[in-house]
Amino acid sequence: MGEINTNVAEDETFDLSKAESILEKYKHIRGSLIPVLQAIQFEYGYLPEKVIDFVSGELNISVNEIIGVATFYAQFHLQQRGKHIIKACSGTACHVKGAKQIVEKLSEKLEVHVGDTTKDKLFTLEEVACLGACSLAPVIMVDEDVYGQLSHNTVGNVIDGIKS
Amino acid sequence: MKMIHLTIDDKSIIAPEGTNIFQAALDNNIYIPGLCYHPKLSQFGGCRLCYVEVTERKHTRHRFACAHPVSEGMVVKVNTTEVNRHRKTVMEYLLAHHELACPTCNKSGECGLQNIAHELNMSPGRFKTVRMSAPVIRDNPVLELNRNRCILCGRCVSACKEIEGVGAIDFQNRGFKTVIGTAFDRPLDCSFCGGCLAVCPTGAWQDRTLGFSGRPWEFESIPTICPYCSVGCTIVLNTKEGSVRRVVSNDKLGINEGNLCVKGRFGHEFIHSPERIKTPLIKKDGEFQPARWEDAIEMVSDKLKQIMEKHGGNVIGGIGSEKCTNEENYLFQKFCRTVLGTNCIDNISNMKAPFLNGLLYKSVERGFFTDSLKGIENANTLFFFGVDITEAIPVVGCMARKAIQLNSANVVIANPRNIIFKNTAKNDVRLTYSLGSQHILLNAIIKVIIEDKLVDLKKIESSTSNFSSLCSSVQNVSLSNAEQLSGVSLEMIRSAAKLLTKPGNCCIVYGKDVIEDPLGEDTIKTLLDLCALIDVSNHSDIHPGRASIFCSRYHNNSQGVNDMGVVPEFLPGYVDINDAANKEKIEKLWGIKFSGNIVSKNSFNLIDLAKNGNVKSLYVMGADPLTEYPNGNEIRECIKNIEFIVVQDSFMTETAKLADVVFPSSTFAEKEGTYTNTGFTTQRLNRAISPVGNAKTDWEIICDIAKKMGQSFSYREIKEITEEIKKAAPVYSGFSYDRLRRKEFHWPSLLLDKIGSNKYTFFAIRDKSLKVKGEKEFPLVLITGASMNHQGAYSAKSKALVSVAPECFVEINDKDAKDMQIKNGDMVMVESRQGKLKMRSKVTRKSPSGIVFVPDAYVNIPINMLIYQEYTPVKIYTVLDN
Ligand code: SF4
Ligand code: SF4
Ligand code: SF4
Ligand code: FES
Ligand code: FES
Repeated sequence: MGEINTNVAEDETFDLSKAESILEKYKHIRGSLIPVLQAIQFEYGYLPEKVIDFVSGELNISVNEIIGVATFYAQFHLQQRGKHIIKACSGTACHVKGAKQIVEKLSEKLEVHVGDTTKDKLFTLEEVACLGACSLAPVIMVDEDVYGQLSHNTVGNVIDGIKS
Repeated sequence: MKMIHLTIDDKSIIAPEGTNIFQAALDNNIYIPGLCYHPKLSQFGGCRLCYVEVTERKHTRHRFACAHPVSEGMVVKVNTTEVNRHRKTVMEYLLAHHELACPTCNKSGECGLQNIAHELNMSPGRFKTVRMSAPVIRDNPVLELNRNRCILCGRCVSACKEIEGVGAIDFQNRGFKTVIGTAFDRPLDCSFCGGCLAVCPTGAWQDRTLGFSGRPWEFESIPTICPYCSVGCTIVLNTKEGSVRRVVSNDKLGINEGNLCVKGRFGHEFIHSPERIKTPLIKKDGEFQPARWEDAIEMVSDKLKQIMEKHGGNVIGGIGSEKCTNEENYLFQKFCRTVLGTNCIDNISNMKAPFLNGLLYKSVERGFFTDSLKGIENANTLFFFGVDITEAIPVVGCMARKAIQLNSANVVIANPRNIIFKNTAKNDVRLTYSLGSQHILLNAIIKVIIEDKLVDLKKIESSTSNFSSLCSSVQNVSLSNAEQLSGVSLEMIRSAAKLLTKPGNCCIVYGKDVIEDPLGEDTIKTLLDLCALIDVSNHSDIHPGRASIFCSRYHNNSQGVNDMGVVPEFLPGYVDINDAANKEKIEKLWGIKFSGNIVSKNSFNLIDLAKNGNVKSLYVMGADPLTEYPNGNEIRECIKNIEFIVVQDSFMTETAKLADVVFPSSTFAEKEGTYTNTGFTTQRLNRAISPVGNAKTDWEIICDIAKKMGQSFSYREIKEITEEIKKAAPVYSGFSYDRLRRKEFHWPSLLLDKIGSNKYTFFAIRDKSLKVKGEKEFPLVLITGASMNHQGAYSAKSKALVSVAPECFVEINDKDAKDMQIKNGDMVMVESRQGKLKMRSKVTRKSPSGIVFVPDAYVNIPINMLIYQEYTPVKIYTVLDN
């Protein structure tokens, strides 16, 4: 029942089959947008534009509304993410201890802006407000590991360590 | 409905239970500041400005008026010191980052934010912050979005989603970064209805057609009726120094609640198009030469007289206008029938479907209508059959969405294509049927209704005269056959039947796809049968549900031109021209004696006569048969034989190009009169500007010619014509031009008491179906239809509309496209046995495999050149793009 998706995917090389099976499960349940987005993110690692367009047509929800929802929640990502997620703290304690320089250094070393992913898809650089380890300020977290009492001279070593 | 008594600012008022304080105040002309609440949108409660003091059940508290319902004995104070202090603080926050660009903002003077700041006597706030300065978004031809002026009230988002059903914009991001925008910052891709612009309380959305050509306080505002489709929305023309600068809407006027489509709101530039014909033109040696009015009138009058003397008046054909006013059409037929002495008159809608007038009259006689199109808002079930609401009558779509929102209406859509109608209905059943199977599909639905006893069969049996014939007629329908022929599963047929017969009001709208099918007449009759079934069953003293049926006609006055009798078979008001008594009545009114020619319908089919060379002269008022008549070749062949052609038009249409004399006529903005919309509602135009160039209104031109030909067409103003229409057309007898200023006129309502007690007689037509297929060389079947963005010469000469939709296109199913190796956007040739046209391909699943669709609304692609039968086979191939 309901409107038929009349959009035609322009780029057939993109793999929509994972999205198809997710939608198969949720299509007829009203109000299932968030679980669908979560499942998509789980499968693809982020919310790819083409998949969102497809979801929009199938669920009959405008893509603008979907992205409105997705950008409201910090858990969703619109860009492919790196293998490692770097969370640089910019909370009060870290800010006082020079978090800004740490982020600048990271961004320079990885050649990415905050929020972006390196070309080799190894790192995504993000800023967070307080990691709850203020006594170690300034702090960054790479995946599940916390690195504290850094300086703009030492933060590069953390990256090198992970790379090697 | 329970009524609640309360006091707001010492004024006692009564409001229905459930109303919020804000709305109750609005309804009683009490002002509460507020920027996010809007009566036609769902409540949002985001701006926090509508803070008021509320005393209820002995407690005094502060509440937000838009979010708090009225209660018995409640006392509300809008202007206490505390309330004002709060409001000022809220305003301070709203203005803290705001662009404050009043000197350069088009909204200045009509801006909600500016007004409230002014009322509250705001001084520069306590906060020193950075003003927002994000770049202005100009990614589309009609709307501009300046987010620096946005206060995130959410009105535009709601309007777009709830009224237009589109959802082109939404809040993006969160916290400080929240903006109104599109996904992935894509360019705005929407129906460009301008609903967002209309509800925005600030200058964030701007009308690009206005540019900087005037300030709100400099404009004169003239409400009038939209000249495009048959909905008949009220638009307000803003004029300055005698020219139209923009169109705005007014929620309180007309039937459209301030909702418009892109044509109505942004398609006004044709009025001052440099391509308007500004003087009379006479063709000499194949070239048009400008002429003085006197000379052109004299020449036409002489020539027509000569022809009449030589051959008699009945060799002159007249084509009236689906776009001109009722008054002009009335005079036109009177002119043809009295001055020229011919009954060889018609209008394009009647040429396309000569059975329609009779059937519409029949549905009116049976009372199958709500008071007007607006009644759609009260529907509990909506059935759109063979009509693309979104493209053909967009604002009816808004009304339908209102019904879905307010009454949880269900939707059933039957169409040969997967048309788009965005809505939030809980049940939205789509029956995509094969071409030619519409009649059997409908019969199958009726069969299910009767067999499954979905209606009160006993009541129907007793309240109609021949229910048994309907039963025996559908008995023969084989459901499996219907399923196979229509391609609609029995399951879907059953769900449709169930939804259609739910208690409450059922609104049926049918359109082009039904009417212009070879089985159109039978299908409409069967639709009336269905309507009767539902109406009789749903309507009782306890359940006041009704069934109503509307026909979606094409132009703004397609109904009126027929009402006025610009058809061979009827005098004004559907009076049978062969009825001697009626004819005599008209003769008396007009003070003439009809010549012997004015009889009988069949012998006066304009096209047949012309084909046989029996039409020597053609007089066309405000129509372009060359592009509008279904078969382009046939009409061109006919016109070739005609010696002398006169055309009244505002633009050099294809038909005008063939004329010997062209009279420049005024557009709707330059005239008075009335239009009758597709729901039989007659509304009044108001003149906003004087005629452009030397143009004259069509009725003045007719009068001039008639006078020159020695008849007394001495009308000085519209009212004199409307008074005469009242006398001539029985269905318009309750009509008053003056009263139209306050209230629209709806002629079927006046026939209500005549509906009386005779029982409905079912047509009970045995199911029929056709096999529609392509041919070997031309494997695809072409269908055509309306476009939301265009409609004839007016839209083609409106820059904004041309930028929104620059090119005509052919919709091809994706599988077919793949087989033919056609990609989306390729330039292709669409070719039939009769002709070929080049256009852009649009690859989509809207058209099912085997069917291609081309809008018939682009004047530069006269699709009728290809068409020689209802479903013309075509082929498509790619061509070079140049
Ligand atoms: S113009 Fe209409 S469809 Fe487009 S964004 Fe505005 S409200 Fe939505
Ligand atoms: S653009 Fe206008 S209507 Fe939309 S949220 Fe901003 S201020 Fe409100
Ligand atoms: S074209 Fe039709 S729907 Fe659009 S504004 Fe005009 S009357 Fe209304
Ligand atoms: S502020 Fe950085 S960890 Fe708390
Ligand atoms: S009008 Fe009530 S919160 Fe905006």
